[in-house]
Amino acid sequence: MTPRAGVRFRDLAAAELRKAVTLPAVRAAVLGTVAGSAGLAALNAVGARGALGAGAAGAGPVPSAFDIAYTAAPLGAAGAVVLGVVAMSSEYAASSADAGGGRQVTATLTAAPGRLGVLGAKALVVALVVATTAVLAIGACRAVATLVLGDAAAEAVGLREAVLRTAGAALYWTLTALIALAVTVLTRGGTLPLVLLVANGSLVSFSLLLSRVTPWAYWLPDLAGRRLYGGLTTVPGGPDAVTGAWVMTAWTAALLAVAGLVLARRDA
Amino acid sequence: MRPGQVTAVHLARTTAAELSKLRTLPAVGLTAAATVVAGGTVAALAASSAVAGGASPTAAGVVTEVVRFVQAGMVLVGVLPVAHESAGTQLRTTFAAVPRRAVLVAAKTLAALVALVFTAAGTVCAMVGGAVVGSAMAATAPAWGVPGETEPRWAGPGAVVVSGEDLGRLAGAAVFLVLVGVLAHAVALLLRELVPALVTTLGLVLIVSPLLGSLTEHARWLPDRAAALLWAPADPVLGPADGALVATAWVLVVGASGGIRLLSSDAAG
Repeated sequence: MTPRAGVRFRDLAAAELRKAVTLPAVRAAVLGTVAGSAGLAALNAVGARGALGAGAAGAGPVPSAFDIAYTAAPLGAAGAVVLGVVAMSSEYAASSADAGGGRQVTATLTAAPGRLGVLGAKALVVALVVATTAVLAIGACRAVATLVLGDAAAEAVGLREAVLRTAGAALYWTLTALIALAVTVLTRGGTLPLVLLVANGSLVSFSLLLSRVTPWAYWLPDLAGRRLYGGLTTVPGGPDAVTGAWVMTAWTAALLAVAGLVLARRDA
Repeated sequence: MRPGQVTAVHLARTTAAELSKLRTLPAVGLTAAATVVAGGTVAALAASSAVAGGASPTAAGVVTEVVRFVQAGMVLVGVLPVAHESAGTQLRTTFAAVPRRAVLVAAKTLAALVALVFTAAGTVCAMVGGAVVGSAMAATAPAWGVPGETEPRWAGPGAVVVSGEDLGRLAGAAVFLVLVGVLAHAVALLLRELVPALVTTLGLVLIVSPLLGSLTEHARWLPDRAAALLWAPADPVLGPADGALVATAWVLVVGASGGIRLLSSDAAG
């Protein structure tokens, strides 16, 4: 990508991937997301099985294993935020004063002076890790829910819908992580993006509150993408799933562009 | 002086030193200020949208509706002091100056408590103010996007007189915020580093607790849900005081583990 620097993009991406998977925070986030989602799905499935056993199923629709697996999705969004933030904030964290107190970013930019290439490689790696985590987490949830429920639950969700909704959640997580990455480039530290994005991704979301005051809030990235989840966390109003996905993608692209501009122009 | 008096004096001086550190740590002051401002803004938004929707909200009602929004700020105020000190070599200097680590842990917790109480009280006050201003603005201005809908639904300043019961709920909201912040402080004592402590506490309070709350009734034993009974006493098993006790027990257990780690481990580790 940057012939001047003499570093091929493929090598850059390989280096960033190596950095990412050896970062303890990344491992913890991936493990926490997969294990936490599976645990929540197990809890939900046990509850649903209890309700089925007690004959309460007549009161409402029988939840499918897929719907049960899906309840843990908000946890994955938080995991994605952590992944996106630490991929960049680890570069800016000062090492121990005994080791000179340096920051990794200086070494990174010395080795790969093409800063846009570095950001591109980071974005690619973050997207890859988050998408893998999403598939693992939703797959694990699905497996746990099916194991616990057995034949008790009706499989109401067809294969096509299941694949679409899994892809939707994976896309939402990936875009969330890329937004987190872009914001972390701007702040050069992990604290602010972590607090803002984890808080905003939760049920007490500022965007959700804002949407009660003005309908324009539905075009904010997180609310526009909410319909990608389908089902439980869908909010009334706002654009539909496909439009929302494009709006969120546009936000992500814009933020990454700003981040690239700032990273390229600003002193590291 | 008797040994007890010596310890008391030592504790008081160390707490003063810790408070001075907090005062001069820009991130703590900024976070506290941002929490207060965010509380007022969120309350104003909620109040104005409620008024625009035809409801007549009370100040305490608005505060209890939006108090969860500022948890993130309290968590940050709770985590920052410990995490900041552990990040560099400051902890070693502190240990050299205060070799009695038990006194140090107590002083740090007291200092954090002072910062959290001030932030929580300021935030709840800002929320009441925001609720009053938000209701008034929404009542006098035309409703958003609905031209001609100008009839004021808000009954004027008299409507937001805070009754005794409401005062209790407001105080409960402030104590809830302090408990969330102290829990974050305890987690930071245990995990020391900023990102793990921040993610653990935020994840527990903002993500895991609501998810578990919708799945199982046993979620009432989680620290933030127990503390929330102080302003929303609606649980068949725990009363407000029980909830506060459960949350305090969490803080004590986590904080004691963190204190033991600080007492027994190497300064760098």
